[in-house]
Amino acid sequence: MSRRSRAAVARSAGGDRTLTTIVGLVLVAASVLALLVGYGVFGSFRAQRPVVDPIAVGWVTTHADATRWIAIGAGVLLFLVGLWWTLRSLRPEPRPDVSLSELPGERLTVEHSAICDAVRHDAEGIDGVSRARVRLVGDPMKPALRIALTLVEGTDVRDVWADLDGRVLARAREAFAVSALPTAVRLELDASSAPTPARVE
Amino acid sequence: MRLLLRVLAPLLGLVLAVVGLALLVETITAWIAPASSPLVVPWPTWRTAIEGLTWSSGSVRATAIVVGVVGLLVLLIGLVSRRHDVFLADPVPEVTVTTSPRSLARAVGHEVRSHDDVLSASVVASASKITVKAATLDPAEGVRAAVRDRVTEMLVRLPLARRPRVSVSVTTTKGVK
Repeated sequence: MSRRSRAAVARSAGGDRTLTTIVGLVLVAASVLALLVGYGVFGSFRAQRPVVDPIAVGWVTTHADATRWIAIGAGVLLFLVGLWWTLRSLRPEPRPDVSLSELPGERLTVEHSAICDAVRHDAEGIDGVSRARVRLVGDPMKPALRIALTLVEGTDVRDVWADLDGRVLARAREAFAVSALPTAVRLELDASSAPTPARVE
Repeated sequence: MRLLLRVLAPLLGLVLAVVGLALLVETITAWIAPASSPLVVPWPTWRTAIEGLTWSSGSVRATAIVVGVVGLLVLLIGLVSRRHDVFLADPVPEVTVTTSPRSLARAVGHEVRSHDDVLSASVVASASKITVKAATLDPAEGVRAAVRDRVTEMLVRLPLARRPRVSVSVTTTKGVK
């Protein structure tokens, strides 16, 4: 299992999970801190102090300029992080075209759909595969294949593997002129054998 | 949980962006044109509302508890929403093969139900454990051994990266054979 084939299994949700966890931690920490202060853990005198603390208000009044710049800085930071996060998690996973040659004058790229249709057609020719879905992930220079195979009940997985590597992936590697093509295969075992629906052109 | 994360993540991002923008706009308005402040967010009214409150006020505590519960939910969604792929052994170095727990459970279920003495069966599978619950009309112990053998034999054929533990429980139900 290579790192790239492992990464091709599914779109990573790592960034979303990290940010969500951080937001959750911040909220929980703020709430716990407010409750501790309120229940007098930091002294019963502090629990009786107003939420809009006169000391803080005094500081803000004497350092009006600094407060403004801090607020502006925090606002810009929150806005940019929030916008970047939203766009990042809403953006669909890219479907790269594959560039076979970058030489000036002989630039050659193959369209995503052309590759996927060819590989899908090959994969559906394997005995025991009732349906295949194929897409490319990654960037144009380092693409990886993601294949979802639906297997008919009672198919031996090892036979499918042998065919997949020997015929389908071998042809794809040949076409890309690479020695190894990172591939993630997802198997649906023993599914009812509905064939691939006809594609609307 | 992953679906929830897919929905929640952009929403949280949007909330952060809106809060940041509001802070920015209100600060600049209050600085440059104090006459037209507040522009959008009625922060002076909020300020007068919380002016008399102390940290031990009931409403402050209630707000803190609500924020804490929401934070805990967000935290849980962030922590729990990992993938549960079942990995198979790699056929060749550059290829990773996975299947879903549901698909594995379905395959095991077919295998178990194909046993003549099994009336019904339910299977729950993950990468580390397969739990089979079956019902039969015969003495449970014999059927249990047979079902376990079947599942074990099937797992030998299916080249999983990590052999899951198999737990089989069989109950004898009343009925006519």
